[in-house]
Amino acid sequence: MSHTKAADPLLNHEYDGIREYDNPTPGWWHVLFLLTIIFSFFYFLYYEINPESATNESNLQAARVAQTKRIFGAVGELSPDEATIQKMRGNAQFLEIASGIFLGNCAQCHARDGTGGTGVNLTDDAYKNVNRVEDIYAVITRGAGGQAMPAWENRLSQNERVILAAFVANLRGSATGGKAPEGKEIPPWPPIPAPESK
Amino acid sequence: MSATSSVISERPAHASHDAATEPDPLHGVEVRPGPMEQFTYNDAVVRKFAFAILLWGVVAMLVGLIVALQLVLPVAAETVVGGVRPFAFLDGLLPFLYETPWLNFGRLRPLHTNAAIFAFAGNAIFAAVYYSTQRLCKARMWSDTLSNLHFWGWQAIIVAAALTLPLGYTQSKEYAELEWPIDVAIAVVWVGFFGVNFMMTLLTRRERHMYVALWFYIATIVTVAVLHVFNSLAIPAGALKSYSVYAGVQDAMVQWWYGHNAVAFFLTTPFLGLMYYFLPKAAERPVYSYRLSIVHFWSLVFMYIWAGPHHLHYTALPQWASTLGMLFSLMLWMPSWGGMINGLLTLRGAWHKVAADPVLKFFVVGITFYGMATFEGPMLSIKSINALSHYTDWTIAHVHGGALGWNGFMTFGMLYWLAPRLFQSRTGALWSRRLAETHFWVGTIGILMYIVPIYWAGITQGLMWRAFDESGALRFPDFVETVMKIMPMYWIRVIGGSLFLLGMIMCAVNVLMTWTLRPSRYAEPVQSAPALGAVYRDPPKPASRLHANTEFGHRGDVFLQGLWHRTWERLPVKFTVWVVIAVLVASALELIPMVVAPMFSTAWREKNIPRIASVQPYTPLELAGRDVYVAEGCYNCHSQMVRPIWAETKRYGEYSKPGEFAYDHPFQWGSRRIGPDLARIGGLRSYDWHVAHLENPRMVPGSIMPSYKHLSHEKLDFKAIQRRVNAMAMLGVPYGEAVKGDNAAQMARDQAESIAAEIATQGGPTGLEDTKMIALVAYLQRLGTDLHAPAPAEAGAAK
Repeated sequence: MSHTKAADPLLNHEYDGIREYDNPTPGWWHVLFLLTIIFSFFYFLYYEINPESATNESNLQAARVAQTKRIFGAVGELSPDEATIQKMRGNAQFLEIASGIFLGNCAQCHARDGTGGTGVNLTDDAYKNVNRVEDIYAVITRGAGGQAMPAWENRLSQNERVILAAFVANLRGSATGGKAPEGKEIPPWPPIPAPESK
Repeated sequence: MSATSSVISERPAHASHDAATEPDPLHGVEVRPGPMEQFTYNDAVVRKFAFAILLWGVVAMLVGLIVALQLVLPVAAETVVGGVRPFAFLDGLLPFLYETPWLNFGRLRPLHTNAAIFAFAGNAIFAAVYYSTQRLCKARMWSDTLSNLHFWGWQAIIVAAALTLPLGYTQSKEYAELEWPIDVAIAVVWVGFFGVNFMMTLLTRRERHMYVALWFYIATIVTVAVLHVFNSLAIPAGALKSYSVYAGVQDAMVQWWYGHNAVAFFLTTPFLGLMYYFLPKAAERPVYSYRLSIVHFWSLVFMYIWAGPHHLHYTALPQWASTLGMLFSLMLWMPSWGGMINGLLTLRGAWHKVAADPVLKFFVVGITFYGMATFEGPMLSIKSINALSHYTDWTIAHVHGGALGWNGFMTFGMLYWLAPRLFQSRTGALWSRRLAETHFWVGTIGILMYIVPIYWAGITQGLMWRAFDESGALRFPDFVETVMKIMPMYWIRVIGGSLFLLGMIMCAVNVLMTWTLRPSRYAEPVQSAPALGAVYRDPPKPASRLHANTEFGHRGDVFLQGLWHRTWERLPVKFTVWVVIAVLVASALELIPMVVAPMFSTAWREKNIPRIASVQPYTPLELAGRDVYVAEGCYNCHSQMVRPIWAETKRYGEYSKPGEFAYDHPFQWGSRRIGPDLARIGGLRSYDWHVAHLENPRMVPGSIMPSYKHLSHEKLDFKAIQRRVNAMAMLGVPYGEAVKGDNAAQMARDQAESIAAEIATQGGPTGLEDTKMIALVAYLQRLGTDLHAPAPAEAGAAK
């Protein structure tokens, strides 16, 4: 702003000693104001009137498809049977993903290392509702013990529950101590199959 | 004119003599001036408001410091450095800070915000309005009785807030938490005392035209009244308990229409009015541009109203409303900056004074923070930026830049200018100019040390929440980890906040010491001015300045010369009516399709808030538990809104749908995630986990949540449940059998017993069946579960 003082026209009124210049509003102010209005008009037209525009839901759906494909694209849908879970128990990449799922959803009750808290100890040999690895999947999916163990069916996808079951199976014997064993001791899991060579 | 003590020279803010003084096309003629009249100003009430600013300023900032400390102390106490716990001495203090119900963060945080906004800034507004309006109108405030009723009524409201909020009486709508009897008192004091007193002063003024500061005061008074009344509409369910008449999405929409415009019309327009009076007075310079003040005033008043939904981006609010909120926020950028430009450019040619005068220093930094905050506001309202910033500390940093920088510093500048004049200081000056200078620097450093780390914390946590690792899994699935990360920033904030509080105390000392310099009796200088005559002739309508143009063009040019506005300025009622129209039209265009139409039209409802058949009212026990959730202020740290964003659905589950909140009077979406979202917490933990966690949240290592052990001892008032269920039924919640006789209490007892039994079988504590704990846990276990529940048969849904 390079106004000289002399050029500022002073208005001929005064309020308690306060006077006002009759300066014009700055040009850049008008330009920016108009630009925001024009931008807003076309933005509204494009996103709210145009039926083809993306919505929050369509963006989310696209992300869901893309991410699911990225993670599970190579294996497709995992079936919750013993063979698949056993295979996953040896899959380092999926176990790593499952450990994140465990940390975010299970560790609150079962502790970050699986030794139990309000939830049972997952590292010992005693189980309440599990005899085989696929039972772990069933417990995760539908819950157990009334409301004690929640059902995760609506929260985690089937693939996520399968790899989580594999991860939980592997917790057995991974630590000592923690909450006292509950339920009955069950035979050891079948050995992890050797990874398929391609 | 010397308005106060003769000691203080108060030269009119004339421009330098070389300024051009052309004939003024806006200058009309007083045809027959009224008789000369003598009058005095009521400065006694301004002095009272000034003291109130000091008192509540210290209180508000002290409570802010306490809540800031509450966020860092538990982690500090556990810190181990080289095998030693340097903060072990906190062990004795922590139980007090974390287990005392009325000291809990959730109850104190609203006290902090309410005290800062309505007590500190509120009294500053009143001091400014009462001092400047009298001088701008050349008239004493219309009624000394109303002035005093206003002062004492407002302080009583603040005291009521300071008592009820820590005791857990709250409506849980942010910055509108106070319960219904206090809401009624606010309406009476604001409209009946303040509004009437102010408008009557305008009507009995001796100055023909209203100066721009008065326009902003008018906008403040009428709009705050409208916002407060419509947002606070509630059905009482007890002496200090009520339910918002709006539910879920609609409640959220009304709340943020209010919340955003509380920022606009409580923290912005009155402070712009303050600026327009005190800045040219202190700088002794004319205001930069009269035209700019007209344009930015009207654009601000009309556009601000629309911007509220930018607080609800990606929520269950319909997308069109959120888009409108964003776009009007963008368009608000220049109207807001109009005020900043007019403020800063008024100081052209006076910068040497800024270097010498602490008052102007405060004003310059205050206006600069206003400019920064009103650039940042539109920026944060852009959806993609908001997706990152929302629910994080970025918002907290943004509002503190505005509150400490703009509202705080404008208030301090005003106080330092006012103090020697109000108290008629014997030295003609402030007690200590140096202390004011020191306050300026301490305060400025305090603000920077507050906001910079908190911006950092907000962006850090926002990025952590959305980070994925190479495998496509959340990189930080454990929420606590993202809290731990920002603890060092929280510590710097504590230091910055302490500095700002220290500055506030310096200000209080300085003003009080200036008060000791007062004369034994305050002089009341007698003013004289002619009363307004009955006849005023506006100047002739200006001719078009254009040469060859259409009729439309010529008319436009005449319009742009602004004589019509000059005429409005001498007609306070007409001016006020136009402000009301601007505010109401803008509100109606947004609120009618969203809030009103769905109440009457199923088609509108289905378009904006589609019903979900499986969503049912809370059981009586869950409703009581929801009241506990509200009373404890859980919403201050936990949102209940999963946004349709991939990282968010991964962390919290399916995104929230509008229909899920059909019975949420009031909504509990929250605005900050100091803890994780709870929208889908129902059924995700066992009952006994909830009990154990609420009693001792720090069983989750690193958690900074306070303890709610007291809920396991406090008895639930089963008898009160019936009244609450009935109030909800009045609002249209289909409670069926529960509203009959005493059914609700019995239903609640039955459910409480079965949950208590369940907790016992899970190995939890026994004897909880009649406590608030059971109710809260019942509510938490219900949250977000209806979406996947089977829809009840049609017969069961009806009564």
